[in-house]
Amino acid sequence: MSNIIKILAVASGVTAGVLGATPALAAGTAAGATITNTATLNYQVGGVAQTAINASNNITVDRKITLTVAEVGSATTSVAPGSSAQVTSFTVTNSSNDTIDLGLTAAQLSGGTAAHGGTDNFDLTGLGMFVDTNGNGSYDAGTDQAVTYLDEIAADASRTVFIVGNVPLTSANGDVAGVTLVAQARSGSGAGSQGAVITETSGANTAAMDTVFADAAGPASGDGARDGKASDDDDYTVSAPSLTVTKQSRVVSDPVNGSTNPKLIPGAVVEYCIVVQNAAGSASANSVTISDPLPAQTSFVTASSFLNGTYTGSTPTGTCNLDGTAGGSVAAGTLSGTLGTIAAGTTRTLYFQVTIN
Amino acid sequence: MRIFLTLLAILAPSMALAANNVTLSSLVFVEKAVPDGAGRKHIVLEEPKSVMPGDRLVFILNYRNAGRLPASDFVVTNPLPAAVVYQGGAESAQVSIDGGRNWGTLPALRVLEPDGRWRSARAEDVTHLRWVLKQAIPAGAFGKLSFRGVVR
Repeated sequence: MSNIIKILAVASGVTAGVLGATPALAAGTAAGATITNTATLNYQVGGVAQTAINASNNITVDRKITLTVAEVGSATTSVAPGSSAQVTSFTVTNSSNDTIDLGLTAAQLSGGTAAHGGTDNFDLTGLGMFVDTNGNGSYDAGTDQAVTYLDEIAADASRTVFIVGNVPLTSANGDVAGVTLVAQARSGSGAGSQGAVITETSGANTAAMDTVFADAAGPASGDGARDGKASDDDDYTVSAPSLTVTKQSRVVSDPVNGSTNPKLIPGAVVEYCIVVQNAAGSASANSVTISDPLPAQTSFVTASSFLNGTYTGSTPTGTCNLDGTAGGSVAAGTLSGTLGTIAAGTTRTLYFQVTIN
Repeated sequence: MRIFLTLLAILAPSMALAANNVTLSSLVFVEKAVPDGAGRKHIVLEEPKSVMPGDRLVFILNYRNAGRLPASDFVVTNPLPAAVVYQGGAESAQVSIDGGRNWGTLPALRVLEPDGRWRSARAEDVTHLRWVLKQAIPAGAFGKLSFRGVVR
């Protein structure tokens, strides 16, 4: 026997390159399957056909545990402060040659570099995991079920898992929250409950079905190669407006001097300009509402308020241009108006005039 | 008891001649790449205790004519297990790609593609292997047939 092996070993060394790569296989033959090879020998002796002879042998296919977790897409999830049910998506695939359960764990980074390069500096609240129950690839609240494990995932099957959380209102533009999803191979015996953690067969090979881990290391802490776990990371990046508000005033005229070097005497007209700036690189701000209680010693000049004007120069020494559109209203001594969308790097104003009582 | 023993003595030689004069055994080994510590890998054959999809198998059929007469018209037929893809290594064998109805060499066999075109058969199309030995196996002679496969 040893001679045969030796000869074949030499031969295989020569032909390995010729035979080329192993055919593309994913899960392949099921774990525990028996491969039976039977050969039949027919022959004659003295011109008479003899009874055919069969020879067979069996081999048992071992269980190869391979699983992957992969972020769907390759971009951060952009979120607004205070937003709820924000989603990152992962594909969890069982490439083992057996049906298994996949235990799931969602975790948040605590500092360090997140999946898309930013530095993790906040956590989401109310973090949960959901499976894409209706298989449409997007999270549907109330339809996609909360899960802690994936039940009875067949060889080569995959599921989409969503990590869903809420963004604190205190988060600021550019803040990053990193998350990881870890899947762990568990026994697939029995639908409806999570099986025990699968362990690798230790010690020598046995003729029966052995279990071998063949998974790669993942980015989550504690996910090494060949440990029956797989993981991937993703992150949330806060996209928020960065607004600054400046208020400036100027005497326009007084009843004595007119508009030439006017003074702040009773009856003088004073203009106010409320300047709202959104810093470059921020998110656009919508529905910016300004409320300004008018000083008791002043009276609003009817129809003198203008919204969405432009501003020249830098606050507080620049000029408030009178190019807005009429708008805004006074109620109970407070002027209020709503500006249009303020894109990143732009400025809008609310302009109005009062007279001094 | 004595009668039975006598009968046995008479029957024994003819039984041996009829049934047990040719033997066939089937063996399978797994090819494993073992690093030799110098950056290269040696391929060794192991007992098939650890077999997983993608593993390369070597099947060996040993035959022996233990009888006293030559065995002629010697044909060994080996259907491939469903979980095994043929990988060559049996160039002296005829192959079949249709369950053993038609036999030939790989280039001679044709496969009808779904688009209606014909192509030459490839190793993965093979369903059966057959060795037809032209010469009789003399009494006491033995030999070995082998082929390679990969676990699906």
